[in-house]
Amino acid sequence: MSSDRKCISSRPVDSTRRGLVAAAGVATVAAGFPAIVRAQPKEVNVGVIMPLSGANAQFGINSRNGIELVADEINEAGGIQGLGGAKIKLIVADGTSTPTTAANVAQRMISQNQVTAILGAFASSLTIAISEVTERRGIPLLTMSFADQITGRGFKNIFQVVSKASTIGAAQFNDALAIAKAAGETVTKAAIMYEDTAYGTAQAKGLREAAKAAGVEVVMDDAYPLGITDVTPLITKLRNSGAQMVFPVSYLNDSLLIIRTMRQQQIDIPAIGGAAGYVIPDFVKGLGEFANDVLSVSPANYDRVPELTDRFEKRYGYFMVHEALEHAVCMGVLAEAMDICKSADPAKVRDTLAKERFEKGWSTAMTGAVKFDETGLNTLAKPVMVQWQEGRLRTVWPKDLATAPARWKGKTISL
Amino acid sequence: MEILQALVNGLLIGGVYAVISIGLTLVFGVMSIINFAQAEFLMLGMFIAFFCWQYLGLDPMFGALVAFAVVFAFGMLVQRGLIERVMKAPDVAQIFLTVGLLIVLENAALLAFGSDFRSVQVPYQTSAIRLGELIIGVPYLLAFAVSLVAGILLWAFLRFTWLGQAMRATSQDANAALSLGMDVRRIRQIAFGLGVGMTALGGAVILPYFTASPTIGGQFVVLMFTAVVLGGLGNVLGAVIGGLAVGVIQTMSTLVLPIQLQNLVLFIVFILVLALRPEGLLRQK
Amino acid sequence: MSQAPVDRSASDAVAARRRRIGWGVLLVAAVILPWLLPEQGYTLRVACLILLFAALAQAWNIAAGLSGLISLGHAGFFGAGAYVSTLLLINFGISPWFGMVAALLFGALLAALLSLPTLRLRGHYFALATIAFGEVMRVIGNSWSDVTGGPVGLSVPFSQPSFAVMQFQSLRPYYFLLLVALIITCLVFERIRRGALGLRLRALKNHPDAAASLGVDTTRAKFTVAVISGAITAVIGVLYAQFMFFFDPDTVFSLAGISVRAALITIIGGMGAVAGPLIGAVLIIPIEELTNMLFSSTAAGLSQLVFGAVLIAVVIWQPRGLLSLLTRLGGKR
Repeated sequence: MSSDRKCISSRPVDSTRRGLVAAAGVATVAAGFPAIVRAQPKEVNVGVIMPLSGANAQFGINSRNGIELVADEINEAGGIQGLGGAKIKLIVADGTSTPTTAANVAQRMISQNQVTAILGAFASSLTIAISEVTERRGIPLLTMSFADQITGRGFKNIFQVVSKASTIGAAQFNDALAIAKAAGETVTKAAIMYEDTAYGTAQAKGLREAAKAAGVEVVMDDAYPLGITDVTPLITKLRNSGAQMVFPVSYLNDSLLIIRTMRQQQIDIPAIGGAAGYVIPDFVKGLGEFANDVLSVSPANYDRVPELTDRFEKRYGYFMVHEALEHAVCMGVLAEAMDICKSADPAKVRDTLAKERFEKGWSTAMTGAVKFDETGLNTLAKPVMVQWQEGRLRTVWPKDLATAPARWKGKTISL
Repeated sequence: MEILQALVNGLLIGGVYAVISIGLTLVFGVMSIINFAQAEFLMLGMFIAFFCWQYLGLDPMFGALVAFAVVFAFGMLVQRGLIERVMKAPDVAQIFLTVGLLIVLENAALLAFGSDFRSVQVPYQTSAIRLGELIIGVPYLLAFAVSLVAGILLWAFLRFTWLGQAMRATSQDANAALSLGMDVRRIRQIAFGLGVGMTALGGAVILPYFTASPTIGGQFVVLMFTAVVLGGLGNVLGAVIGGLAVGVIQTMSTLVLPIQLQNLVLFIVFILVLALRPEGLLRQK
Repeated sequence: MSQAPVDRSASDAVAARRRRIGWGVLLVAAVILPWLLPEQGYTLRVACLILLFAALAQAWNIAAGLSGLISLGHAGFFGAGAYVSTLLLINFGISPWFGMVAALLFGALLAALLSLPTLRLRGHYFALATIAFGEVMRVIGNSWSDVTGGPVGLSVPFSQPSFAVMQFQSLRPYYFLLLVALIITCLVFERIRRGALGLRLRALKNHPDAAASLGVDTTRAKFTVAVISGAITAVIGVLYAQFMFFFDPDTVFSLAGISVRAALITIIGGMGAVAGPLIGAVLIIPIEELTNMLFSSTAAGLSQLVFGAVLIAVVIWQPRGLLSLLTRLGGKR
């Protein structure tokens, strides 16, 4: 063809230009493709760091179960809608009982698993260590640990769904006082005993301050070493103090010891526990009928929303302990946040967590909704008073959240 | 009155500390080795008694006998297989053999049993005897009683049986014992078995008022060592008195000091005795 | 092979030169490593921890390996250093660089005080006393809340990364800081070992009675070493605090996590040799991380179990640790 020669001479330019256009086209698509892929991930990685070994293993396992329940439910219902049905992938790791390891694990999750957020780690010391890593890497950390320090450092990436330790301690005291008053008893002397851990010390501070504010004399205020081998000195001191109610703050080992020794020594003043060892199935298993009527504060309780928490009991065989419930709320809130901002980018999720009010699904399981303030504290959290009644843990105070009447020294206080 | 109650409580719990510590001192007396893993055998004893309760319905007081027997046998194996090999080795080897043993036992228990706390429910767990103003908790009393019997039996064994006397001879002068034809190796093996067996028994009897978990050993280490050092390492009677003393110090100190510091008092006593009178407060028998 | 006496000085020199080259290569590799790794990454973090625990173990090695002072209470110095420096920072705004000096002095003081009643105690008794020391520190840390913050622990105040406050955005500066600390500790170890002090210590370790009769001041030598070891350990505690940003009494005064671990690393690696703690740390830390990563909770305690078993094995069969195993394999005489 006569035009061939022209074509021959112009072909290279044409092909180059075509090539360029083609390349540009591919480049555009390629550039846009990851964006499309990122905006609609198939999976979202969520880190879960819990003490799955060591003294807190039981609580760590409970917490993980709570998170798994929610994640599985969301995935079965089609994943996170705002992310195009992306499924939640839990990356679970053992934080052990050493903060150093927990921090390493957090670092590993961030570098190797590209997690959007981390949930953990039950024990305040682990959570604080992890938060030092997550804050510096800009990854949101959701937790139910409640040492005051956690929200007291001006961190931007920490979100605590329960009240602070001092608030819980104050509620432990004030609610007990209110129940006593409703039963017709005026309390002027109270005793506080707590294990010298972060948890015990922080909560005791809240108790102490509430007592002072209420004008009640604290006739005994003693810390005891964790792992104390003999509580008889404590109980003897309690008896001699003349207290009308006692506030023990301890884990399972000590809680059993304390209640048993109190009964042995025929001390029948009401004991109002500080959560932890007082609100787990092992407590009632260890004490049997002696667990009845023991009161305790709890950051949250399962019997308010049986339609949600029964699913836990069905799956795992024991009632939804508060750490499982609160972690379930963490998972629910996180999922809702990703749904709202339609992104799995840690920074965007963080901003959403800080700004929004969460009131769907599991976010309602504690008090109906969750909203974090600028320190990361959930302002809508409210500790409740629970009581063992016939082997079940019932919410008995405040009245607007109660599901059963409180019992004080044999007297039932109607709702 | 307060003081009397504290004294009684201290003696009751001290009796158990005594039984636990006897084992440690016996081992040191016969072998000059401090068994840093001793408290782990307490943990083992506790678990054995727990499983006897859970699966056989045995009260921990009887479970203690089973615990003794099992740990005695196990202890003999450990001595033969491991401890005997470092008898002539330098201090560092001896120390870290038992430290390694501590690590192995604790973590093996962790792997095997998990870290849940196990507690038993016995019918007398909240019973107490009243003697006027004094209240004596039944679990504490029973533990004390069983410890007392075990202690007396051991004393009788050491005093009146041939083997027991051989053991005492070996602890005084191993070479002399050897030259007298005693099978010193066998004696060491049995002594170790006895020692850890006693500690396991002590662990079992406190199960009614305690909870078992793989890490429980650590809580008794200070107590055991203080008791043994107070009475003089190697002195069995010393360990008994030391154990009782530790129990009493623990409870009496809470009358004047915050309870949180009860162990601090013990540590300081411990360091002082080591520094000023390492051979113990009692004259060596 | 003939057993005829041979002038070994030439081959000694060659061996020494080979050793020096070996260390040089290692040093170069150590310096290059952080540039090959992502600077915020997990691997670099693990590398930092290896350096930290190697330094800690080496400080322990100075006391135990060189003079037989088997301490199971080094956590007491470690935690003391962390607290001194961090408290100075929190309460007076003093930079951790000066905090390190304060920790050094405080650690030395503690070691001196501890030595007074305990130095003349025999091996087992000495170990017991040091355990008590570590635990006393822990109880004080937990109960003296007004000063130490109590069981809740201390957080290093969050601030903008700057050299002055020893806080860095990337992990690389931490790595080099810890590397320098490790190198210095190793140099101190070697200096003592080869010097007159080391000679005295070896004499009294092998033949305590003979040494005493020859006029070797046994107590003075042990005292010096104890003080140096305690002081360095305290400084490493400061670095730990600055690296982790948070610590509590149960962690920094931990018998199992710090005291026993330092000993474990050194013994498994090879006590008394400068390479021992290095080998031990390079093995133990990554294995721990690996088991956590692979097995997580299903086999909690597995790695510790293995280390305990290896410790027993080393003590029974290879008391000089893996180092001696390696040199044997390397075909040295």
